[in-house]
Amino acid sequence: MVEIKRYSPVAFKASPKRTEVRDNWTVVLEYDGEGQAAFGQSNVNENYLVDLSHITRLDVQSSNLDAITPFGITIPQGLCESYLQDGVLINRMNRIQASVFCLSGKRPEMPTESSYTETTEVGMCMAIIGKDVFSITEKLTSLDFMDYAKTTPFLYQAPMSHIPCQIITLSRDGAKSGIIFTASRGYGKDMVHAIMDAGAEFGLKPAGEDKVKSWLNTL
Amino acid sequence: MINRINQLPTLRVDPANKVIFDYKGKDYVGVEGDTVATALYHNGVRIFGRSLKYHRPRGLYSLDGECSNTCMEIDGIPNVRTENTLVKQGMRVKEQNVKGSAENDMMGFIDKLDWMMPAGFYYKTMHKPASIWPIAMKQIRKAAGLGVLSPDFEMPGKFDQIFPSADVVVIGGGPAGMNAALAAADKGLRVIIMESRPWLGGFFDYRTFDYKDAQYKNSKPLYSRARELASKVESHANIRVFKHTSVVGTYTNNLVTGFQIGTENDKFNERYIEIRAKSVVVAAGCIERPLLFENNERPGVMQVACVHRLARTYGLLAGEKAIFSVGHDLGLEAAVDLFDLGMKILCVADVREDGQNPYLMIELAKRNIPYLKGWVASKAHGSKRVNKVTMTTLDGTISRDFECDLVIASAGLTPINGHLTLAHAKLRYDSHTNFFVADTMPEKTHAAGRMLGLEDSLSIEVSGKLAGLNAALDCKLMPQSYGNTEIDALKSEIDSFTAQSKELPGPARGSKFVTAPVKGRKSFICFDEDTTIKNIKQAIDMGFDVPELIKRFTSAGTGPGQGGIPGHNLPLYVAKYTAASSKCFSSSGSSSIQSLGATPKPTNVRPPLVPTLIATYAGSKHIMMKRTPMDEMQRADGGVFRKIGVWERARYFSDDFSCRKEIENVRNNVGMLDGSTLGKFRIHGPDALKVLQRVYVSDMSKVKTGRVKYSAMCNDDGCVIDDGVVVKLAENDYYFTTSTARAGATIEWLRYHTRFDGWDFYVVNLTDSMGVINLSGPNARKVLQKVVSQDNGASGEDASNKASIQDVSNEAFPFSGYKEFMIKNTIPVKAMRLGFVGELSYELHVPSSYMVSLWNIVKEAGKEFNIQNFGVEAQNVLRMEKCHIILGQESEQRTNLLDLGLGFLWDRSKKDAKTIGAVALRQAENDPTRFRLVGFEMENNGRAARDGALIVDDKVRGYVCTARDSFSLNKAVGMALVESHLAKVGTRIQIFEDECGGERIYGTVVPMPFYDPDGKRMKS
Repeated sequence: MVEIKRYSPVAFKASPKRTEVRDNWTVVLEYDGEGQAAFGQSNVNENYLVDLSHITRLDVQSSNLDAITPFGITIPQGLCESYLQDGVLINRMNRIQASVFCLSGKRPEMPTESSYTETTEVGMCMAIIGKDVFSITEKLTSLDFMDYAKTTPFLYQAPMSHIPCQIITLSRDGAKSGIIFTASRGYGKDMVHAIMDAGAEFGLKPAGEDKVKSWLNTL
Repeated sequence: MINRINQLPTLRVDPANKVIFDYKGKDYVGVEGDTVATALYHNGVRIFGRSLKYHRPRGLYSLDGECSNTCMEIDGIPNVRTENTLVKQGMRVKEQNVKGSAENDMMGFIDKLDWMMPAGFYYKTMHKPASIWPIAMKQIRKAAGLGVLSPDFEMPGKFDQIFPSADVVVIGGGPAGMNAALAAADKGLRVIIMESRPWLGGFFDYRTFDYKDAQYKNSKPLYSRARELASKVESHANIRVFKHTSVVGTYTNNLVTGFQIGTENDKFNERYIEIRAKSVVVAAGCIERPLLFENNERPGVMQVACVHRLARTYGLLAGEKAIFSVGHDLGLEAAVDLFDLGMKILCVADVREDGQNPYLMIELAKRNIPYLKGWVASKAHGSKRVNKVTMTTLDGTISRDFECDLVIASAGLTPINGHLTLAHAKLRYDSHTNFFVADTMPEKTHAAGRMLGLEDSLSIEVSGKLAGLNAALDCKLMPQSYGNTEIDALKSEIDSFTAQSKELPGPARGSKFVTAPVKGRKSFICFDEDTTIKNIKQAIDMGFDVPELIKRFTSAGTGPGQGGIPGHNLPLYVAKYTAASSKCFSSSGSSSIQSLGATPKPTNVRPPLVPTLIATYAGSKHIMMKRTPMDEMQRADGGVFRKIGVWERARYFSDDFSCRKEIENVRNNVGMLDGSTLGKFRIHGPDALKVLQRVYVSDMSKVKTGRVKYSAMCNDDGCVIDDGVVVKLAENDYYFTTSTARAGATIEWLRYHTRFDGWDFYVVNLTDSMGVINLSGPNARKVLQKVVSQDNGASGEDASNKASIQDVSNEAFPFSGYKEFMIKNTIPVKAMRLGFVGELSYELHVPSSYMVSLWNIVKEAGKEFNIQNFGVEAQNVLRMEKCHIILGQESEQRTNLLDLGLGFLWDRSKKDAKTIGAVALRQAENDPTRFRLVGFEMENNGRAARDGALIVDDKVRGYVCTARDSFSLNKAVGMALVESHLAKVGTRIQIFEDECGGERIYGTVVPMPFYDPDGKRMKS
């Protein structure tokens, strides 16, 4: 008898300490050795890579995007602006398109309008958080995350480690710094390898979903 | 071993910390901070290697790696610039390009055969008869060259890359660069400063004269000023300092690339750096222009800064008795300082008639150092190292010999302006400074410091400040700009410093002297390539009159030093010699070049400005490939993977690359293929159908619910660029597939070809979102029936939208049918009944995260049939037997729909202008010159021809697309694109393969498809 499970495109060389099965995903809440403390307490000098590939993501396209309010939230008007509210992150990609990330981790009630396409399966999704996030990313991409003309949260649609990504900078405030990014699912394994290698000198380690949740609470 | 002066305040070494390294199998001792070259020099090594062509002995010369003189093999890596490489514990150092040793090189006799090797000799000799050249070439390669690298050498160490962001990049960490960095950083900008040496300070760093007036005083010496500035720079929150970092390229839009050498504390040995800045300041300073005289590269001949830095930075006196032959005040200053450090200075010869700093001349006189104005070194003596030098007057009328062990020679200074020329600055010759200076600067690029001809310390610093402020202005004027008040204040500050700079000394007059009055047989203009003045004259006499061409013909400036040694002298000498020849002037002397009527033209500079390891460019070497959800499981099942486009795919499932078992299993039983790489898209919106009509050749309004429609996309030339299937999900809502290779370009293709229509449609790339299982073979239905018959009671939100199915019979789920259903109440499946491999087949499209689970369900259901994996190669053979095409294999850029026999897809009732490629197809329809896709089988039960083999008679008539030994047909068959006159069934075709030695193989055109021509197997 085959057990039905959903598999993330991302796997870490670490042992899960606490997991939760959610909509057939086995979501790792915490890994061995990542530390008990919630983000921003005793771990201000640490950097974490978190797999969020299980979170629900949507693509919204319409010629009248302003009239659409995913989960009751208005889509930002400015190109590459993002907006985070109640665990929902909305990113304006272009004139007619936005992406929606449901960061709470729970599967929301899906909108039924045809302008939505679920894209959870399209890509892997990960977060890099901690004080050295941008020291790590500068080894992977030439994007200027510290551009003073941009206000967090903001979206980049550009390559990281040569792979096209959507990268949302949620904070660049010292130890609270962090990004969430997606890329094609197929690149999951090699992307983890590249990021962990880039982050090795900064002590980057895998962390569970709880770390991201506590980090989001600090923003 | 020579004694080290340990107490100098300028030292950059720590004599207390010893470093033991290996040189030619023996332990040598250096100190922390030493380069390999200075450590070897400290240990008495004077000959570091032998030259490329003549095997002449070579030693320290610039101490900055400007030539290959001191390139050695370190830890197995050849051609390492030892002047720029810090010595480390346990390092293994070897000399290179020698037969025997650098001291006693058996190839040294070649130096006496230079008369046999005039300029460009290898272009002119050893070519007749042509058969000689391959033999000669091997011998030349054995005799010449620098280091040797084993083909299986694996580069040790960690190589990395970094792409930091900055507003302003400053190239050069000298006084001008540091002032520029501080000025920009104080305006709140993010600044990166790149310095090639392991410390900041530039040419202030080792000098002890007062920084304000360049005199000995009890005030602030230059090195103190350098350290003061460095401290400010390194502690500034807005400045990021990259030391031991060489810039290798500067490009348009302020892109700067370089590489950094790691310290013991870094996690990398070397790393590549790439910065896109808003503005760039180039303050790279100057190097010395070599003095041209006989044996001017003999060990013991060194440049001024080399000897001066050797003493002040490393505590090593380069010799006991020195002769100076110089053309600038830094030479006089070095003579005074080195005398005070204990070096015996026999005389200082100065090629300048006037313009010397009078203070320095007084200091020379105070020390009783003979000063010869208008004299120059004309020949260094000594077979392996200098033991005597001949000095002459500039006109060569009077000569005098001096016994010495050191000749400190420098004709003048030359700016390091490669950074500007790479960024497309136009250089012109400036007769005042004798520099090539930028006539027009690249946008948002500013030069500062000595490279402008400035010598006065304060002038240099102010020029740096100005450049930094101008760079800040570039940033502040950008779109996300600042208030007018701030910009006005900045402009006002710039005006103030501009006024201040005008009060300070401007660019100094530069020495124009090039060569001593000698014939130049052994006067080397390029050390790397052993190019002499005589070679340059030979090239000019042969008609080459442009430095760029002479550079190529003589190889001058094409070695590892990247033109550092000949870069300035070559154009100066060419201008002087060509003008002098035409006016019958002597080529020697210091007469003005322009007075002779010639304007020097610089040669081109190309990246890398500083050479480094290819491993550094490779960086961390991550291979970024896409993997399907089945990757891990298929590897565990014995899959042999290959890179196919952006994907890694299981091509075989055994060591038998003919895939016989895989093929036979699909033909006779049932197999599973991971087809997840297919492009998959959703297109929706009011105008979705119009888009499909535009890009597909078929009438897409005929796509019926529950059915699959196969069609193709063409480009405007009617050439096929993609094929795939389309299904209708709802009104104006479609799901379609593309070939794996086209998936990345599909959305752009659709948008581009509807760009003027204003249509309302939306496309989502679902390629990675859906995994695909291709279930094929006569038993496929039985397996699928078992899968769908499992608990399928619909439940949950997704299930409520999709019917479960119990019946997959041919009637319920016919060929070209499409169904959506749930498996085990949970896994949503889009299923298509297709037949690419020519058998009963189903494509199951499933969310990627469920792919492994569904695969296991299918596998378990197929266990009783002994279901097996099959890979991409087996699929390739199966579909080839059925004559189903793969674009890119049965087509190339010029192959149109009709050539492939796919004309039946084209709906001619659609308006031509509305279907991409239709107009061209109509024109090509009756064109007899086009290729045709044909099937062929090999004659006499012969083996299959190789893919890509040519179809020939007395000309090339086509090529083999795919051919294989068919186990299903028991013969070798294939498809080929051939000229139409060869397309008739029964035509004999000749096949020419690579390395066939003229022996052709033959086939006969046969009807297609080869296998199951009626399609009964896939449709029943």
